[in-house]
Amino acid sequence: MDEPSQLLKNKRIFLLIFFFFLWSPPVWSIENNECLDCHGDTSLVRQQSEGMKEGLYVNNSQFILSVHNINGITCVDCHADIEKLEMDKDVPHATSLKSVDCSKCHEAEAKAYVNSVHKKAGGKGITIPCYACHGYHYVSNLEAESVIDRENGFCLKCHNPEKFHSWLPQMDTHFNFVECTVCHAENVPLFVNLRFWDFSKKRFLSGTEILTALKTNSTGFMPLIDKNKDNKIDADEFEQMVFKLRENNVFGTFHGELIVDLVPVVHHVNRGKANRECEQCHNPISPFFEDVVISLNKEDGDTDRHVVDRSVLSTYYVNHFYAIGGTRVRLLDKIGVAIVVGGISVVFGHLLARIVTIPTRTRRKEKEKEKKYGF
Amino acid sequence: MTENKLLYVHPAPVRVWHWINAAGIVLLVITGVQIRFIEMFDFFSLEEAINLHNYIGFLVIADYALWFAFYMGTGKIKIYFPNPKTFIQDCINQIKYYGGGIFKGDPNPHHMTPTNKFNALQKKAYLGLMFLFLPAQMLTGLFLWRVKKFQVYIDMFGGVKIIDTVHVLLFFFFAAFLIVHSYLATLGHTPLGHFKAMFTGYEEEH
Repeated sequence: MDEPSQLLKNKRIFLLIFFFFLWSPPVWSIENNECLDCHGDTSLVRQQSEGMKEGLYVNNSQFILSVHNINGITCVDCHADIEKLEMDKDVPHATSLKSVDCSKCHEAEAKAYVNSVHKKAGGKGITIPCYACHGYHYVSNLEAESVIDRENGFCLKCHNPEKFHSWLPQMDTHFNFVECTVCHAENVPLFVNLRFWDFSKKRFLSGTEILTALKTNSTGFMPLIDKNKDNKIDADEFEQMVFKLRENNVFGTFHGELIVDLVPVVHHVNRGKANRECEQCHNPISPFFEDVVISLNKEDGDTDRHVVDRSVLSTYYVNHFYAIGGTRVRLLDKIGVAIVVGGISVVFGHLLARIVTIPTRTRRKEKEKEKKYGF
Repeated sequence: MTENKLLYVHPAPVRVWHWINAAGIVLLVITGVQIRFIEMFDFFSLEEAINLHNYIGFLVIADYALWFAFYMGTGKIKIYFPNPKTFIQDCINQIKYYGGGIFKGDPNPHHMTPTNKFNALQKKAYLGLMFLFLPAQMLTGLFLWRVKKFQVYIDMFGGVKIIDTVHVLLFFFFAAFLIVHSYLATLGHTPLGHFKAMFTGYEEEH
C-alpha cells in the first residue's frame, strides 16, 4: 500500500470518528433500567419531615403498560431535572426533585384545566396536581375503559356522588351508565359506547375476541359489516353482525355507556355548570345519543371505534342500555296505539249498536208490558 | 220498580281497594304517558312525572296487598275462579249476550250474588288481571324503579329493555282496560247502577 492511499484511509477513519461523536448526545442518556435498579426495590422509601415515609418504588410490570412508556417516554423525560446519575453517591441524584410539569407536553389539557373548579381549589389552599387524578407512573390509556373504571379511577377518589345527587331518580343507574363528565364538563363531545357481553364467558369481549369470532381482522371489520359502505353500521347491518357472532357460537348482548371523548376540554369541569335537565337526555331527538360507536379494544389499551347508527339503541340487540323516552323501542308505541285504539273502537262500536237498537228494545218492552198488564 | 232487591256484594275493603286502585291506575297512565312521550306532552317535568309515578306505584302495590289480604283472609278469593264444568258454556252465553242479546233486550244470563258476583267473562278477565297482569306490572315497575338494585333479576329476564317492554305493553293494556271497563260499567240496569254500587256496596237485583 502506497503512502497517499494510506493517508486517505486514515482521513476516512478520522472523519467517521468525528461524525460519530458529532451525532452522539452531549450527555449519555439515562436509561429506565438504571432508575429501576433502585426504584424497582419495593422497600425503597424516603423519610419525610413529618415523620411519614414516602414510597419510591415503581412497579415496572405496571409501568411498561403505561401510556407514557408505550409512547417511548422515559423516566427522565418527566423528571427532567435529573441530568446525570452520580453512582458513587448514596443517592445518585438530587434528593428533592422539582414537581413534574405535565403541561410541557399536555399544553391544551393544562390550558383547559386553568379555569376549572379543581384548579380554583388552589385558592382555598388545596393543590390538585395532574397526578392527584391521573396517578404517577401507571397512567393507562382510558379510551377502552368503562364508565365504572373511569369514575373509580378519577372522580370517586375524592367525591362522594351520593351526597349531591339525591334529587336524581335512578341515581345508581346513572352513575353506572353515564360518566360524570357527560354532565359536569361543558361542551365535551360525547358518545354512546357499545361493548359486547358474552353470555358464556360472563365478561365483555375484547376487540380482538370479537374480530376472531367474526373471522376477520381490524381492517376487514367494516368491509365485512358495513355492506352499504357508508362508514356507518345501521340497524340491519348491526343485526347481521349479531347473527354472524351467533353463527360462530358467540352469544351475548351489547351494553351501552354514555362517555366523553377524551379531549383536552374534558378538564374544564366547573361548579354549578352541571346539566340538570332530564329532558335533554330523555328525549328521542336528544343530541346525547347522536353519536354511537362500537369499540374494538386492542391489547395495548387503545381502541378502534366504528360509527353505529343511533337507531341501533332502540333495538333489542342493545338490551342493557335504555334511557326512558330517549332510546325507546318505537314498535311498542305502534302496538300501544293499536291496543288503545282497539279498546276505544270496541266501546264506540258497542255503544253505537246500543243506540241504533234502542227502538228494538223499546218495542220489546212495550210488548212485554202489553202481555203482562193486558193493555 | 218495587220488585228490585238490594244485594250487598261489595264489602267496604273491596270498595276502598277498588277506588284507590282506579285513581292510582288513572294517574299511573297519565304520568306514564308523560314519561314515555316526553316530546309530545308537557303535563309535568320528567323529574316530577317519575317521582309521582313512583309514589303512586307504591300506593297501588300497597292497595293490591289490601285486596289480596281481604280476599285470602275471608276465603272470598274463590269468586275469581271459574267453575271448570260450566265455564266454557257460561262464556259462550255471556259472549252471545254482549254481542247480540243486549241489543234485543234479552236478560243478562248471569245473576249476581254475593258469592258469585262475576260473570264467566269477568272471572276470566279479572283472574288474568289480578293474578298475572297486575303483579307483572308491579314487579316490572319495581325493577324499573331501581335498575341498579335489581340488576341481577333484570339480567335474568334479559335486560332492562325486556323489562321495560313488558311494563310498557301492560301500560297500554291498562290504558285500554280503563276505557273498556268504564264503558262496561254502564251496562247495568241503569247506566250509573254499577258505579253507585261501587260506592254503596249494594247492587240492585232484578
